[in-house]
Amino acid sequence: MKIGVYICQCGINIAQTVDVEKVAEYAKTLPSVEVARFYKYMCSDPGQELIKKDIKEMKLDRVVVASCSPRMHEPTFRAVLEDMGMNPYYFEMVNLREHCSWVHEDKDRATAKAMNLISGAVARATFLEPLEKKEVSVIPKAMVVGGGIAGIQAALEIAEKGFKVYLVERNPSIGGHMAQLDKTFPTMDCSACILTPKMVDVARHPNIELFTYSEVQEVEGYIGNFKVKIKKKPRYVDTEKCVGCGACAEACRLHNRIDNEFDMNMGKRSAIYVPFPQAVPLKYTIDPQNCITLKTGKCGDHALCVEACDDRNAIDFDQKEEIVEVEVGTIVVATGYELFDPAKKAEYGYGQSDNVITGLEFERLVSASGPTEGHIEINGKEPKNVVFVQCVGSRDKETNEYCSRVCCMYTAKQAHMVKDKLPDAKLVVYYTDVRAFGKGFEEFYNRVEGEGIIYRRRELDDPIKVNKKGDRVVVKAKGHPDIDADLVVLATGIIPKKDSKEFSRILNINQSADGFFLEAHPKLRPLDTFTDGIFLAGCCQSPKDIPDAVAQASGAAVRAAEPLAAGMVEIEAISAIIDEDLCSGCRMCEDLCAYSALEFDEKDKIMRVNDVLCKGCGSCASACPTGCISMKHFDMKQLLAQIGGLVQ
Amino acid sequence: MVDEKELRDVVKKTISRDDVKYVVGYEKGTYGFQATPCFAYKPEDAEKFIFSPLCVHNLTVFPMLEEKPPLRKGEEPDTRKIGVVVKGCDSRAIVQILQEKGLERDKVVIIGIPCSGVIDPKKIEAKFPGHIKKVEVNDEDDKFAVTVDGKTQKIPKDELMPEKCKTCEYPNPVLYDILIGKEIKSKKKEDYKKVNAFEKKSMKEKWDYWEKQFEKCIRCYACRNACPLCYCKECMVDQLNPQWVRRSVNLSENTAWNLLRAFHLAGRCIGCEQCERACPMGIPLMKLNKKIEKEIKEMFEYEAGISAEEKPLLAMFKPDDPEEFIL
Repeated sequence: MKIGVYICQCGINIAQTVDVEKVAEYAKTLPSVEVARFYKYMCSDPGQELIKKDIKEMKLDRVVVASCSPRMHEPTFRAVLEDMGMNPYYFEMVNLREHCSWVHEDKDRATAKAMNLISGAVARATFLEPLEKKEVSVIPKAMVVGGGIAGIQAALEIAEKGFKVYLVERNPSIGGHMAQLDKTFPTMDCSACILTPKMVDVARHPNIELFTYSEVQEVEGYIGNFKVKIKKKPRYVDTEKCVGCGACAEACRLHNRIDNEFDMNMGKRSAIYVPFPQAVPLKYTIDPQNCITLKTGKCGDHALCVEACDDRNAIDFDQKEEIVEVEVGTIVVATGYELFDPAKKAEYGYGQSDNVITGLEFERLVSASGPTEGHIEINGKEPKNVVFVQCVGSRDKETNEYCSRVCCMYTAKQAHMVKDKLPDAKLVVYYTDVRAFGKGFEEFYNRVEGEGIIYRRRELDDPIKVNKKGDRVVVKAKGHPDIDADLVVLATGIIPKKDSKEFSRILNINQSADGFFLEAHPKLRPLDTFTDGIFLAGCCQSPKDIPDAVAQASGAAVRAAEPLAAGMVEIEAISAIIDEDLCSGCRMCEDLCAYSALEFDEKDKIMRVNDVLCKGCGSCASACPTGCISMKHFDMKQLLAQIGGLVQ
Repeated sequence: MVDEKELRDVVKKTISRDDVKYVVGYEKGTYGFQATPCFAYKPEDAEKFIFSPLCVHNLTVFPMLEEKPPLRKGEEPDTRKIGVVVKGCDSRAIVQILQEKGLERDKVVIIGIPCSGVIDPKKIEAKFPGHIKKVEVNDEDDKFAVTVDGKTQKIPKDELMPEKCKTCEYPNPVLYDILIGKEIKSKKKEDYKKVNAFEKKSMKEKWDYWEKQFEKCIRCYACRNACPLCYCKECMVDQLNPQWVRRSVNLSENTAWNLLRAFHLAGRCIGCEQCERACPMGIPLMKLNKKIEKEIKEMFEYEAGISAEEKPLLAMFKPDDPEEFIL
């Protein structure tokens, strides 16, 4: 056996704490090592050529590269071996940068550690076995979960590329939070005016099948071949027959008596409703929590909505929940966000007084289609003193440490809108730092500040207290005079959806510490998840504004369309194998498999691996009581040899 | 006190069934305070069956110990059931094995006996040293009536009972096909007093203690053989490639064996104390088992061998499982 060892200096990233020359000299003394070299950038073309030349001239059997994380360059070097006609799994990588040079200071000891790591890798390399990659075909359809702006954008883009898309939205209409906004910063475009054309495009697009008022219940399978169960909640209205005339809502006995969630419960709706006039699809939905017929089985002597619907006969109280199964090749997750509940921070006085509202409530208040038709009024009066408080539930170690990214700018926008509508009002903004980082943001902030709006800096550690005082509130902030305000707008931060955890389990994707869905790499794979074929778009991954969400959605759409266009995907060859003679059929591994890759063979009473589903994570192998499961590329021989090499 | 006649009748009836291969129970030992496991293959074998506080063994090891030699050509496998006489603690071992699918439920006939505590052989032998004649022991509420050389002494149970019986929460079999006598009530509670006290010691004290204990080990693996849950086809100590534990008897290898044994029973040990009873060197193995049992109870609210329908602890995963132990 001939092993080639290549040590990368990574510029000075590795070389400054590891004496690569010494390490190379040491590597030459290891068993079976034919050649050991070091080079400035092993991943560069000359670096790769170096390896190729050696493979050719010395007829190497195994290649060990000691450089950065395998997540960076393992594919690069595997490709080098493949180019030379070798099996790519004859390659072994040592992470000298993240695991050694970057985390140590003492050069001698770091060098010694580097030697140990390489000794382990060389010992392991001896036992590497050739593996074959597998290809599977791809169902040329995609699913987008979430019908907010990110989901809409992703669905449209995939559909435009010629693939069928299922767009699943939980609410009766697509549109998401963007539909609730009045204007968008910094351009002051009317939010609905730029969103609704896209919603209409979705409804009209021949490649998009819309599932509104529906939820993803189960996802099985793997990239290229996902089987999805979509739960269609009963609308109690036949969408084929409903024309969206609204006669039913007018007739409803509960007309204008139920809080409208779309208007942040400030406006009213009927028990049969569309959330907003531009809803897509414009089909009515009966709210089962409030509808008298659905609750009691009887609505007066007859249901008025049915009467109003007349011979269209669209209302069907017997509608049942329906499970639709679809098969897709890739999935884009765009489930969006929720807003922080400021009642959790009692000092802001939210919920204790009508004068304190959240940013999104303000959007509805100021919107021409909102409950007040755009008049800013609190308890029927126009406010004279308006206070905006930023960083409510963001940048706060007690609640959410991260910055929600949009609040600075939406506060500036809202302040500007108040100034626009109520020129005499006195406006104060309590800010921590104004983070105006986007295109045109700083200019917009300067413009708003120049309109006579007072920006007062607050320290995050000093809580702002809002106390009720008659029909107004007093805002107390340390280091600033108290303000008697008529209206306090809290810039509440963005938080992950409440059911993110459950949904991440359904999809087998991860969450980061803050609860948002985790991308595969924060810089280089921001749209991917660790589950192949599932991609992220919009605020479900992290707080972002509309342009960013749209950009990410377009990116995710491209990523999701790639396998659909290719028609085939390569599946990782590293998977579990079961020794059928040893397996006792205890089925211990079955439930531990996060990828449903293990199946029980009722006939032979043993487990079998579906190696297309298997990701090679190894949980089954570690749990197997008889030790009959081993992992390709990480089998016991290889690992013990590596440990043996490490501790030599 | 268990009605031995009822027991014998039940055993006789069970072994008379066509689908039962044998019944394993207890008989009087040949000397001293011994009771030994015995097997009934024929109805008349049932006559020697007894049940007394000396019946300490956990007989559930037997269905697991049975060798299954390869079948000759044309030979049909013997699919008959095995009858087992079990106390409360023993029945939990069966439940645990069923959970792990080591046995199938319809392959065993469980003859359950409610038990109010047995006698620790080591304790009674220390009290009556050197006795080789047969003795009589009876259960009398809170005392054991021990008849030696015609003289009967009444000894408080606490003096002779093993630790497990003092805190036994399951005096009645948790799973049985036939119950001998009536279920009994118990207010005993496992409070892990000893584990808690031991936990308070310093790291050094604990290590010194265990070093002393493990040094004694002669690696006879009696603990393994007596344990109803050590039923792997090939135990990890017997594996040669990789060789997890070397065969040499020294502190390092002994420690490895004893700790691995305890960890392989994590979430599985039902506390029947057979390992400690079988240990010829008096190593307090239950202390390790109990510590793990306590941790698991606190972290996952799980107790081994209670319900055969439940999944084994290590085969379950819940997203909200505590993870503090992951560094």
